[in-house]
Amino acid sequence: MDDALVAILRSGTPLVYVTLAGVLAQRAGIWHLGLEGLMIIGACSAVVGTVQTGSLAVGLLIGIVLCVLASALLWFVIEILRANPIIAGLGLTGLGLGGTDLAVQAIYGSQASVTAPFGLPRLGPEFGAFGVLSVLVVLMPFVVFGVWVLVRRTRWGLQLTACGEHPFAARSVGVSPSRMRLYALCLGGVLCALGGAELSMGSLQIFAYGMTAGRGFMAFAAVIFGAANPLGATAAAFFFAIVQALGIRAQLLFGDKVPHDLLLALPYIATVIGIWISGRLRGGARAATAFGELRDY
Amino acid sequence: MNGPLGQVFRALVYVLIGLALCGIIFELAGYSAPLMFQSIAEGAFLSVRAWQNSLRWGLPLFLTALGVVISFRCGFFNIGAQGQFYMGAIAATFVVDGLSGAPAFVVIPLTFLAGLAGGGLWALWPGLLRVKSGTDEVITTLMGNFIATLFLVYVTSGPLKDPSGTGQAASSRPVAEMYRIGAANAVSPAIIAICVLVGIGAWVLVNRTAFGVLSSLAGRNPIMVVWQGAKLSRLGLAGFVLGGALAGLAGTIEVLGPIGRLSSGMLPTHGFTAILIALVANLSVLATAFVAIFFGGLAAAGLYLPVLAGLPAAAIDIINAAIALFITARAWPKRLAGFFGQRRSAP
Repeated sequence: MDDALVAILRSGTPLVYVTLAGVLAQRAGIWHLGLEGLMIIGACSAVVGTVQTGSLAVGLLIGIVLCVLASALLWFVIEILRANPIIAGLGLTGLGLGGTDLAVQAIYGSQASVTAPFGLPRLGPEFGAFGVLSVLVVLMPFVVFGVWVLVRRTRWGLQLTACGEHPFAARSVGVSPSRMRLYALCLGGVLCALGGAELSMGSLQIFAYGMTAGRGFMAFAAVIFGAANPLGATAAAFFFAIVQALGIRAQLLFGDKVPHDLLLALPYIATVIGIWISGRLRGGARAATAFGELRDY
Repeated sequence: MNGPLGQVFRALVYVLIGLALCGIIFELAGYSAPLMFQSIAEGAFLSVRAWQNSLRWGLPLFLTALGVVISFRCGFFNIGAQGQFYMGAIAATFVVDGLSGAPAFVVIPLTFLAGLAGGGLWALWPGLLRVKSGTDEVITTLMGNFIATLFLVYVTSGPLKDPSGTGQAASSRPVAEMYRIGAANAVSPAIIAICVLVGIGAWVLVNRTAFGVLSSLAGRNPIMVVWQGAKLSRLGLAGFVLGGALAGLAGTIEVLGPIGRLSSGMLPTHGFTAILIALVANLSVLATAFVAIFFGGLAAAGLYLPVLAGLPAAAIDIINAAIALFITARAWPKRLAGFFGQRRSAP
């Protein structure tokens, strides 16, 4: 039981951090499909920064700075150049995947993965089975609570939500939606860097090309699933982590009877069903008009 | 800046920005940017062999991009081209593998039908969810990509596995010589003919039929179309299925032609590049043809870079991503707008 809980916390924590970043962006009115790219930038710079400087703190800091810069670039493209957020986000994801690949090749030659000498600090053996968990796992509930307070219990959070739901209303009381989106995206960049660092340094201490493997998109799905509520989205992220853990468990139990690759598809299928149900409960999603705008230059 | 020429100009500028950004990243990473651009040009367009390669990569991309054009024109954000491409290829491989031994004139048409149906059906369920219950198609088609990718891994290591495979990347048995429509890694007259026919068909459909006009209106102003009495859901579904079927057709061609078999993880960026092509072409069928050849050239150069110039193939991914980042931009920054003497559109 403890082992299962540890497995879920380990696979769920990176997802939760990135999901919270998505929640902030979603609240500000941006569909954030660049989460995958930010996450892999965070994962890569945590490992590469630690290897190059020998200091974990510097590695983390580099990751945070790069993710915030990338988020600011996304904001510039979306808000100032008025690009379509979905395509621009996918572009940022591609830039993250390609850029980290290039960075690793430029520094280490044609090497498939980079191993860090040490990972994030762990809880230690006195915690039994939970001793392998990193500090970011311990920090996670507080971050979730913090984001919840920020979004639901502060003036800033209310203004942020207004910017997403009714930018005109926000502007009419003197809140600049554009600036709020910049804040939300940059704060999300910090969270993505932490999520990526937990992914690469939390248990494996390794960075490999494309190691996020769609987790950023899964986090985005969790945001939608959880209706952009920090607590709901966190629950959705853990739901995906549990489904994934169940898939691995089912494979151990049933062996060859159930194909492994189809079990890996369970979280994605669960996402589709979840979005479908939540859409039915809350009424339709985005109106079909959203894309038409793109073509009327 | 609002005429067709202005749009072409704008697209070109953003493509150039993408190239420049990639060049800067390359210089920062310690590689030579001029060498990279020179190698890309050599690998894509500067010899007959390079042109053949560009066509080999560009033509399947053209078909998938046409599918994206059709569904985007309807106003639906079908970003599942990758999954539909895979599902078409998988369905085609099942048919060509299962009917091996039958005469080619029976098998090849059936394979194409299966590929079209595979891609079309994989686009049908997100379409149905969208028009019946308003489930957002961005997420469903995105998830569909992951599911299809895993399904491809499953069939190539399960039901369709080549027993003599070396175990590197799982793949199906090679398609028998009699069913091939082109040599390995090359274009063939058959593939060019299919692309020209489909291209003409798509142009007529988009520009000269009621469906094309209505779907284009639906993409711009769905409410007006509903008031005029057209069935928005039926238009949208048709767009989804047609788009998926074209992606499936591209998958079929890859299986019967250049690749010659189904392998797990094949062409992982095909769908993303196709979306990019459709957007750079500003959703015009004619422009899609040219843009597809350009991106086909980039794809061909991506294989050439590491082998002959010793540069990482990630360059092409970065160029594509940088173009994607900027291509949908609708406004110049204020200063630039002043510089070009253009008024900024409403905030």
